Amino acid sequence: MLENFSFRTIVEYLPLFGQGLVTTVWLSVLAFAGALAVGIVLAAMNLQRGRLFRIPAKAYIDAVRATPLLAQLYFLYFGLPRLGIILPELVVGILALSLNSGAYVAEIIRAGILSIPRGQVEAGVASGMTYVQRMRLVILPQAFKVTIPPLLGQAIVLVKDSALLSLIAVAELTRAGQLLASDRFMPAEGFITIAAFYLLLYYGLKGLAALSGRWLGLAGART
Amino acid sequence: MRSNRSKNGTGMIEFRGVNKWFGPLNVLKDITLSVEPREVVVVCGPSGSGKSTLIRCINGLETIRDGDLVVDGQRLGDPATNMTRLRTEIGFVFQSFNLYPHKTALENVTLAPIHVRKIPRAEAEKAGRELLAKVGLADKVNAYPAQLSGGQQQRVAIARCLGMRPKIMLFDEPTSALDPEMISEVLDVMVAVAEEGMTMMVVTHEMGFARKVAQRVVFMDAGAIVESGTPDEFFSHPKTDRSRAFLSKILRH
Amino acid sequence: MIWQQLQSLAGSYPLALRGLGMTVMLSLISLVLGTLIGFGLGILRTGGNRLISGVIGAWVDLIRGTPFLVQIFLIFFILPELGIELDAFTAGIIALTNLAACFICEIVVAGIRSVPTGQVEAALASGLSRWQRMRQVVLPQAMRIVLPPLVGQYVLLIKDSSVVSAIGLTDLTRVGWLVVQRVPNGLLVFFLVGLGYFIVCYPLIMLARRLEQRMCAAHGEVQL
Repeated sequence: MLENFSFRTIVEYLPLFGQGLVTTVWLSVLAFAGALAVGIVLAAMNLQRGRLFRIPAKAYIDAVRATPLLAQLYFLYFGLPRLGIILPELVVGILALSLNSGAYVAEIIRAGILSIPRGQVEAGVASGMTYVQRMRLVILPQAFKVTIPPLLGQAIVLVKDSALLSLIAVAELTRAGQLLASDRFMPAEGFITIAAFYLLLYYGLKGLAALSGRWLGLAGART
Repeated sequence: MRSNRSKNGTGMIEFRGVNKWFGPLNVLKDITLSVEPREVVVVCGPSGSGKSTLIRCINGLETIRDGDLVVDGQRLGDPATNMTRLRTEIGFVFQSFNLYPHKTALENVTLAPIHVRKIPRAEAEKAGRELLAKVGLADKVNAYPAQLSGGQQQRVAIARCLGMRPKIMLFDEPTSALDPEMISEVLDVMVAVAEEGMTMMVVTHEMGFARKVAQRVVFMDAGAIVESGTPDEFFSHPKTDRSRAFLSKILRH
Repeated sequence: MIWQQLQSLAGSYPLALRGLGMTVMLSLISLVLGTLIGFGLGILRTGGNRLISGVIGAWVDLIRGTPFLVQIFLIFFILPELGIELDAFTAGIIALTNLAACFICEIVVAGIRSVPTGQVEAALASGLSRWQRMRQVVLPQAMRIVLPPLVGQYVLLIKDSSVVSAIGLTDLTRVGWLVVQRVPNGLLVFFLVGLGYFIVCYPLIMLARRLEQRMCAAHGEVQL
């Protein structure tokens, strides 16, 4: 039973949880930055007329979306050394998260750009703008607005996904919970505490998404 | 003139001092109105005058704050009143038709008879076909709403109400969402229903319809009944400035 | 050397089949249960009882706000402390079903809310009971909105089932992990694991896309 739930042990382990939380936050920030870079490149490729760029981009996005992140993580973790690339677990983890989330980010950006009504493009053409000018002055500023809320939604997914990095021994938040569970045989204390920390991050990002929706004047922005 | 007043003086629909608020807005002010069995009452007035709200209260789509509203002898808001049962006695025709888009014309008409009245399917379908024929849509029995024009959809909606054999029919601006050339086909059906002796309250600005079948015209403004009289009185000799201003606007076009 | 590895991989194909079977079982059972419970929760949540819909909303938020891995650990390690004995398979089914039910609940709520109020009023006006309104008028129309994300959710569920390998269930991912200990070619092993998932998930992704396009076309929206 949970009657001997030990808050004292939680307090004792608090520095460990704190470190785990900090690690989860900054590795998520890095991974999300990477995902944005991957996503922008993929979206740009995917929006080209020529098949040369479009097909590899589509294939990559489909491959990522149709396989689990954990299998992708193991693919890199066990596979990279095979290619002679030896990286710390943490770097492999960030890489896996970036490459995975990048595919979803690409779809969000593409949908944002395609959501701009045809009339906007035509107005740009009619006033004699070049392709680059239309993108920069007409399409992207409008697309930017609609992509912010779903991007924050993807950031929430990424933070939660980062828990899987504990399975390749990255010392992040979930790993801290596992340590308490195995060192002291206190799984309840360990996992309930980290669940609370994740909820903190979740509600923070969710609040940010709601705020951004209001700032950007989007009706019905939801994540 | 059909004016068989019920003996005890209570009408089919009785408003007594009814008030309703949307937030701070007093949308119905002290409404007192009695509609007799077989009577046809046309309600008109500028937009936002509360006329739609008035008839939506009768079948409980809106709730009233105070006053009494008695329909077919049953008091609304009374725990003893079974609202679902009462609604089966009241047909309601919406401005935007509200046909079920995933059901054919016939299924729209038979849904409530089968599931609420528990009429056997075969019997309900036979009655449904007859009703659709009556509103001039015998050939559209299996059409979906999206395949019908606005006027046809509204006629199906009327048939859907008649399928429940209601004692009262309420119409909420039944022709205002229609293209002009379709208005008369709907009004003709409504006239036929009125001539069979249905108790009707109709929110509309169709003055031709009012002159033809209504016993009474009720003019509303800002949530209150301002004037009430026979169509002749109202159209030829409006008593108030507000009704005169309203009539000059709707008659201009 | 590659040849040797392939031979040794071929030797572990019964294990791989067992793993694939486990993944399919886990996904299928929790998909069916999760759909039923998710629809139930979604209907209850839009039912108008504030307390019930508040409790469901809070629970859904808790599940959406925490990593699935942590949920599995909580169920697998803490339920026994509360006196509920369960094996890894049952724990996996509970965790996956709960996850699916919560996400499907949200999808169903969005679908129900997308049905115009006029439709409910028309059903109300003709005296249909609450359940009849839901069954005859609201749900059939909500399904158009619900179906594409529902299929998408099934893809997520199949992928999330890989996480239960963390409590030792021998699913497809766990098989990969076991094999790679003997055959040290991570690229090849996890390429094959990924292929297994891809074969199951990709048709579903295509189906979700088709449904979405059909829905947009039905609404008369122009796609660029």
